[in-house]
Amino acid sequence: MAADTAVAASPEDTLESLLREAEALKQKLEEERQKLNDVSLCAVGARLEAISFPALKLRRVLKGHQAKVLCSDWSPDKRHVVSSSQDGKVLVWDAFTAARELTVPTPSTWVMACAYAPSGALVAAGGLDNKVAVFPVPPPADEDAALRRRTVATHTSYMSCCLFPNTDRQIVTGSGDGTCALWDVESGQLLQGFQAHGADVMALDLAPSDMGDTFASGGCDRAALVWDMRTGQPVQAFDTHDSDVNSVRYHPSGDSILTGSDDSCCRLFDLRADREVARYAKDSLIFGVNSVEWSLSGRLLFAGYSDYTACAWDALRGARVCVLCGHEHRVTRVQLSPDGTALCTASWDATLRIWA
Amino acid sequence: MDMMVSTLQLQRAVTEQLRREAAIKRIPVSAAVADIVKYINEHEQEDCLLVGFSSQKVNPFREKSSCTVL
Repeated sequence: MAADTAVAASPEDTLESLLREAEALKQKLEEERQKLNDVSLCAVGARLEAISFPALKLRRVLKGHQAKVLCSDWSPDKRHVVSSSQDGKVLVWDAFTAARELTVPTPSTWVMACAYAPSGALVAAGGLDNKVAVFPVPPPADEDAALRRRTVATHTSYMSCCLFPNTDRQIVTGSGDGTCALWDVESGQLLQGFQAHGADVMALDLAPSDMGDTFASGGCDRAALVWDMRTGQPVQAFDTHDSDVNSVRYHPSGDSILTGSDDSCCRLFDLRADREVARYAKDSLIFGVNSVEWSLSGRLLFAGYSDYTACAWDALRGARVCVLCGHEHRVTRVQLSPDGTALCTASWDATLRIWA
Repeated sequence: MDMMVSTLQLQRAVTEQLRREAAIKRIPVSAAVADIVKYINEHEQEDCLLVGFSSQKVNPFREKSSCTVL
């Protein structure tokens, strides 16, 4: 009924006219973006001094998962790391000592996402069970963390990524059902849905500004989208990747986003220029990028590949400066500690590694 | 009919989204790049993975010394 009214309200809108307008707008967008493309980032970067990159060393190996590690997240205390695995368990580690401090079994396998809340006292996790659940860390004295586990929300397909938007009270999730959603942790109520991806959502990142009103997502429709959290509308779309976008990270400045894709390429999209400004790829790199991350200043970017390595790139010169070898299977996650002193990688080889 | 209405609605949403994107104000890439370089220069000294640690003692993940004081 509502749809009929909408159709009647604007009789001039026909499918043909809308399609025509969409094509014209797409062309205009491309022209406008091209017009301002006066220089490439790496052409500017080439004039800068090359960096003398200090060799990152493998400092800790976190062993305890029984299967592929699918996700990890640093605690705001800069010391603990939570990880989730295909074995259905969520583990909390002391990264300083490499000791496992907490094991939380979940009812499903493939726990694809886990995240610390800003307080460091709550962890969210979920995956193939289509759900996101939270539990307190550490659990109250003498209590079992698994018993304190509480489901917050359910998607109609797997939950691939989640984060807390600068508050313990809300969670943003991305799902194989192609949507992102903002949930109230306490009531489990859906606060806002985000629909625009044409396929599975694989990654999320929150804008670093204190405002916390925008976030970015990447998906199997090869697109990276920037969303307004209040309106639920996508603000910008970048679709130059040739395959699934597996990871998305805001530059620390907040003005651009970095993506990693199955096309074995990382790309930098500037939000104010509204276009791709750099590409990080080599002919010899033919495996997909599963995770991307920045160093504290945003000069270095890190990428975890399916060829079992992680690489560091000079973001300005577009050159690879370091290869981190050690993992024995694909690297699923690369994340900088909150103070920028160490890098944590997770892998299908069932381990996590700390590099510093 | 329902199919047609939903296709129309879907296309209307897509077109509206493109209208919004086309209306975005843009800056030249050179200006955007200059800002990226400026941000990095301002924060380079705090970036431990880039400039290293002032002393290895500051690195919480350094190898533990084999000698300990009892």
